[in-house]
Amino acid sequence: MASWLNFINPFTIDDDPGTYLGDFYTDNFEKGAQKGNVILNLGPQHPSTHGVLRVLVELYGEYVLRSEPVLGYLHRMQEKMGEVKTPYQYLPNMGRVDYLNPIAWNWAYAGAVELLAGIEVPERAEYLRIISAELNRISSHLLWWGAFVLDLGGVTPILYAFEEREKINDILQIVTGSRLTMNYFRFGGVGQDGDERFFALIGEFIPYMRERLKMYKDLVTDNVILRRRLEGIGPMDRDLCLRYGATGPILRAAGVDYDTRKAIPYGLYHKFEYRVPIGPPNDNFGRYIMRLEEIEASLTILSQAIESIPQGKHIIDKAPKPAYKLPPGEVFFAVEGARGQVICHILSDGGKTPYRIKLRAPGFSNLSLFAEAAKGTILADAIAILGSLDLVIPEVDR
Amino acid sequence: MFRAIWDNIKGIYSLLVGMAVTWDFFFSPRYTIHYPRKVVERENLENYRGPLELTRGKKEQDQTRCISCQLCVKACPGHCLKVTKGKESKSPESWLYDFSLCCLCGACVEVCPTGALAFSHKVYMVTTTREALILDLLKDLKERVAETPLLVEAPDSTASQEPSAAVVKEA
Repeated sequence: MASWLNFINPFTIDDDPGTYLGDFYTDNFEKGAQKGNVILNLGPQHPSTHGVLRVLVELYGEYVLRSEPVLGYLHRMQEKMGEVKTPYQYLPNMGRVDYLNPIAWNWAYAGAVELLAGIEVPERAEYLRIISAELNRISSHLLWWGAFVLDLGGVTPILYAFEEREKINDILQIVTGSRLTMNYFRFGGVGQDGDERFFALIGEFIPYMRERLKMYKDLVTDNVILRRRLEGIGPMDRDLCLRYGATGPILRAAGVDYDTRKAIPYGLYHKFEYRVPIGPPNDNFGRYIMRLEEIEASLTILSQAIESIPQGKHIIDKAPKPAYKLPPGEVFFAVEGARGQVICHILSDGGKTPYRIKLRAPGFSNLSLFAEAAKGTILADAIAILGSLDLVIPEVDR
Repeated sequence: MFRAIWDNIKGIYSLLVGMAVTWDFFFSPRYTIHYPRKVVERENLENYRGPLELTRGKKEQDQTRCISCQLCVKACPGHCLKVTKGKESKSPESWLYDFSLCCLCGACVEVCPTGALAFSHKVYMVTTTREALILDLLKDLKERVAETPLLVEAPDSTASQEPSAAVVKEA
């Protein structure tokens, strides 16, 4: 190709492979690129990708021909760290795996250890677990809601979303002591009992949040610009979701009735009455509306929980100490996080530390849908599809 | 054709509804506070986990309760504590705490047999060097003792009762 075109666009694929420089991924990705197409790196520090995700896309004009996520920029050896620390010492790490939904990860690990060790949890602790997990789910969905609309170009909603998020953080701070990477669960209960102020604040929060959801509908959901950006874009059907192992709101938007809280009941979720929202639509708008309806379902669970919470202990008397050794055995525990199914798999040989730990992050499977769903869309819609997957990169890379 | 016109009218109406929401918020009071001039209220920090501090003894309120048993040092997942035992008594000679390694998990606080450790509520700690994050907790205890020699309240609640210089409602 003529060299004057390189002057206009230095990234244009040239006949001579020596004229442009890329790293390992770009070079290997480029081999199939057609003449005149553009290879574009979204990320790792692109503002519209969340965290340090890098997505390589081949563009024809503004149309995405192929795309490929490149992972590993935030790999922190979380699984290996579980093999060198005692179970008690590893527990604070779980809040760091997914910083937006730490309580679900807390539950996955604490639940797996309790299942292996045969520890019974007091009823009040189970209620406190459900309350904190549902509050955390709401705060995670709120941040996703704000960030997703921010991806589409609306700056206002994230400021409203953060007002609610601050309220939830204030409530969770009373029992967990922190606002982001919470370490609340203990083996055999929870770290701290909720006081009167904690329950009073939740009681105030539930009607307040319901009012705000109506405001969200007026402000964003009914907005014609948002509707035209989302409706019919990025459909992910049942077959695609099942092939790649997607879970959470993405799978439910595709019409599959699968929620870990109902499918493999854990804790005391079987005592609560709530509706799990199920699609279709399975496009971007379906995934959007699925999460807003999940906030409503969480509020229903919360209001039932604070009405019926029993008195009692928040942790068992002989709770495991930092030097606690796991009995030998293999265990597998799944919980429903905000993004999908969170699984913790522990293999223990009875030593001081577990022999092997595997964490199943829902974001990792959900991200793999992107390459197929984004094929043939324009670049701005590909960003919308990426946003609708609700990715948290620390969780994807672990 | 009529449908397209009707859709456009509906679309413009939805935009106006959204504008009305933002218009309402334009006249509502401000939710945020201006940080250097105002800080959050004291009650919001009651359970907040700041850097560790040593609590005071039950009888001798100017002494630490620490007996240098090293349980916290072994429990800590981040290896951020260093406790040296005194030569004559059980009470520690030095108590160093590296806040840059601490993940505020609370393993040390929960494992302590005498309740010598507690979380402080210092949320506005700022430094430019790593060395400044290695805190000498015995020195910190002495400073607090010099400020308020005797406490009227039960010593268990010292952590939340002591006023911190940084947390004033309006500075």
